[in-house]
Amino acid sequence: MWSYTFRRILAAIPTLLAVITVCYLLLHMTPGGPFDGERKISEAVLANLQAKYHLDLPLWKQYLYYLNSLLHGDLGASFRYADWSVNDLVASALPVSATIGGSAILISLVIGIALGVMAALRQNSMVDYLVMFLGNIGGAFPSFILGPVLVLIFAVTLKWLPAGGWNHFDPKFMVLPIMLLVFINISTIGRVMRGSLIEVLNSNFIRTARAKGLPLRTIVLRHALKPALMPVVTLLGPLAISSITSAVVTESIFSLPGLGKLIVNGAANRDYTLVLGLVVLVTVITVVFNLLVDLAYALLDPKIRY
Amino acid sequence: MTNKQSLRAVAAAVALALASGSVLAAQVPAGVKLAAKQTLIRNTGSEPETLDPAVAESVPANTITADLFEGLTSADNNGKILPGVAESWKQADATTWVFHLRKNAKWSDGRPVVADDFVYGWQRFLDPKTASPYSETYGIFILNGKEIATGKKKPSELGIKAVDKYTLEVKTPYPVLFLPALVANTQFAPAPKAVIDKYGKDWVKPGKMVSNGAYQLKDWQVNSKVVVAKNANYWDAKSVVLSQTTYLPIEDSNADVKLYESGQNDWVLNLPPGTFDKYKTQYPKEIHNGELAALRYYSFNNKDALLKDVRVRKALSMVIDRDILAKKVTADGQNPAYSVMVHGVSGADPSSYDWAKWPMAKRVDEAKKLLAQAGVKPGAKIKFTYNTNDYHKKMAIFAASEWKSKLGLNTELESLEFKVLLKKRHDGDYQIARNGWNADYNDATTFLALVECGNTQNDNQNCNPKAEELIKQGNQSLDPAKRKQLFTQAVKMIMDDYPMLPLLQYTAPRLIKSYVGGVGQNPLDRYRSKDLYIIQH
Repeated sequence: MWSYTFRRILAAIPTLLAVITVCYLLLHMTPGGPFDGERKISEAVLANLQAKYHLDLPLWKQYLYYLNSLLHGDLGASFRYADWSVNDLVASALPVSATIGGSAILISLVIGIALGVMAALRQNSMVDYLVMFLGNIGGAFPSFILGPVLVLIFAVTLKWLPAGGWNHFDPKFMVLPIMLLVFINISTIGRVMRGSLIEVLNSNFIRTARAKGLPLRTIVLRHALKPALMPVVTLLGPLAISSITSAVVTESIFSLPGLGKLIVNGAANRDYTLVLGLVVLVTVITVVFNLLVDLAYALLDPKIRY
Repeated sequence: MTNKQSLRAVAAAVALALASGSVLAAQVPAGVKLAAKQTLIRNTGSEPETLDPAVAESVPANTITADLFEGLTSADNNGKILPGVAESWKQADATTWVFHLRKNAKWSDGRPVVADDFVYGWQRFLDPKTASPYSETYGIFILNGKEIATGKKKPSELGIKAVDKYTLEVKTPYPVLFLPALVANTQFAPAPKAVIDKYGKDWVKPGKMVSNGAYQLKDWQVNSKVVVAKNANYWDAKSVVLSQTTYLPIEDSNADVKLYESGQNDWVLNLPPGTFDKYKTQYPKEIHNGELAALRYYSFNNKDALLKDVRVRKALSMVIDRDILAKKVTADGQNPAYSVMVHGVSGADPSSYDWAKWPMAKRVDEAKKLLAQAGVKPGAKIKFTYNTNDYHKKMAIFAASEWKSKLGLNTELESLEFKVLLKKRHDGDYQIARNGWNADYNDATTFLALVECGNTQNDNQNCNPKAEELIKQGNQSLDPAKRKQLFTQAVKMIMDDYPMLPLLQYTAPRLIKSYVGGVGQNPLDRYRSKDLYIIQH
């Protein structure tokens, strides 16, 4: 297992390098530069700015300069947020996104799995229909509609919770964004769990267990749940990555200072170093989560060995 | 009027301004009961790109740095220029100004603010190493400023000198009558050299920043908030009522309103498009819609094969019904515009076109004739470029429909990402393009830049040498009235060339809680916390 993990990490290095290179080239090929604004800057002042950020060097030199900084753990200076380095910005945004995204995933898993199991055990009953209906609401409504509805109910009308914003991890600012992400996630988790458990419950080894007279509770908890969780585990990787890194809409609705906002602003402002820094981060997170999912497979399925 | 008489007139005007305008901050009217808690939360629309006044460029950055730093002069919430660190000033000769600094001005760490702090601050602002985006824009008004910003001279050659600890002499390359207004911009603020030397780029961070304004930096969480708290060492601290202001960087106007309605924000920056009337009815005591020194316009590429003919440009401008555009299309309280110069800007009057008062049918007939004379037939194609945004899209569709229904022209709409539009516009790679301008300072020259020959800001590629001559004469004049007359004449002359298509003068449709006092009306949309207060509610 350790050797497998080590090999996977080593294999991630060329992936990371390829992603950085492609992203680097694409950013520099995109029309419009970081200092283009409504008020045009004269050539001389533009040259000052370019010199300040090493953009006056040939592209290949800039690239090597960037890689060298990266090797030293320095993601560079942000062009847009002039007083902050990209390391500073990531360090301030990542905990926000990770807290919101991570909490949402955990809550969604508990609720989604529970609802999926309930629906699967009472297939085609009122409970099943109700659970699927509620789950589908979360899936059917886009977050940019569901989010403002939550704000309208809990912040504007009832005034129980803040409509948005952030204040040093104050929990009351987290409730609505987490609630929104949970609504969206549980429909997917619930539906996958339901389908998977139904399939497992119809398999031969469960039929054998039933024939042996084992109670349903034992069958589900001891024999069916583990294999039925496999598709949910498969979902976890992309779900976790998207919750943490791509919560652009959620962060916009609730004005959260997370990674999604940085990515959008970075791309719109042609903040090359910021975008590259976030790409590196997203790539690393993706590699790590995929690895964790693969390792979780081994724990859940005895047939899988690395 | 002779030069001496003009100088006397300017000096008298400055003296009058000082006499009539109290330097005191928040003017709380008699009978108004103040709330026990004097804190304000307001939205600035986006994250400030910096809190270093020398580098600040955006509206949010300038708004916050105006609380943190004070220059020689400052502008109150009605845009009136008041003494800042300088308690008085005079124009010694056509190109020399002398500022006398108050002796009780202090930095937030208690050190006195002296003339050398301004010399260092200004030299640092224009130093190419600082790479301030505004260095050349403002540098042209200080002797050698432009040359320093463009690396042709050393910062030490800047036209600013500390005559003694509390006297500054400023030289300008030509008479800059609005210099007291110009230096109210925080790019011209003093800078704390010892602190900058000690912390480098990090000197602007909470706990490190030393500032000389009415407020000091308390907290800064990127993309979340900036909090400024009253500076006890500020020379006029006794007049500062508001103890704390929290600035939010909310970009989405719908989210902004929701925060307002839930009580988390006292000041909506801009209402969502088309909601002005709705909120005017809903919150009649809280609605604001002040006119700004800012213009929405479309740039004509004057070098384009079709648009180089002034008749075509005129016809395209004549048939756009600005009244319908303002009332029905954008519907957010903005006002029709017919000139590059907008209302409320000092130094020139807006021009207008005779046809602006004609019935539309007559305008259409005339426009059709002009197109026929120019050899443009119905069915001809024009290309309009704008940046992807629903607001701009609505305006573009309206303009295209006006050109189609009234002149029979077919418009190809090209929607581009913002930076791509900017690149194309600055490169002259377009036919007609969306454009807009917010005044950097309250003087006609900030708008003239849009239509002057060869100016960096002139995206239209137009040039009128006769008008240019009038502008030059105006810039040399020491008589404010004569200068205004020359600039106004130049504006009229340029606009008769139809270099661009002025559409609307911006306003700031917003909600401000009725318990926020001292708001005023400021064409530059700059409201400092020093003038604000919270009424008991």
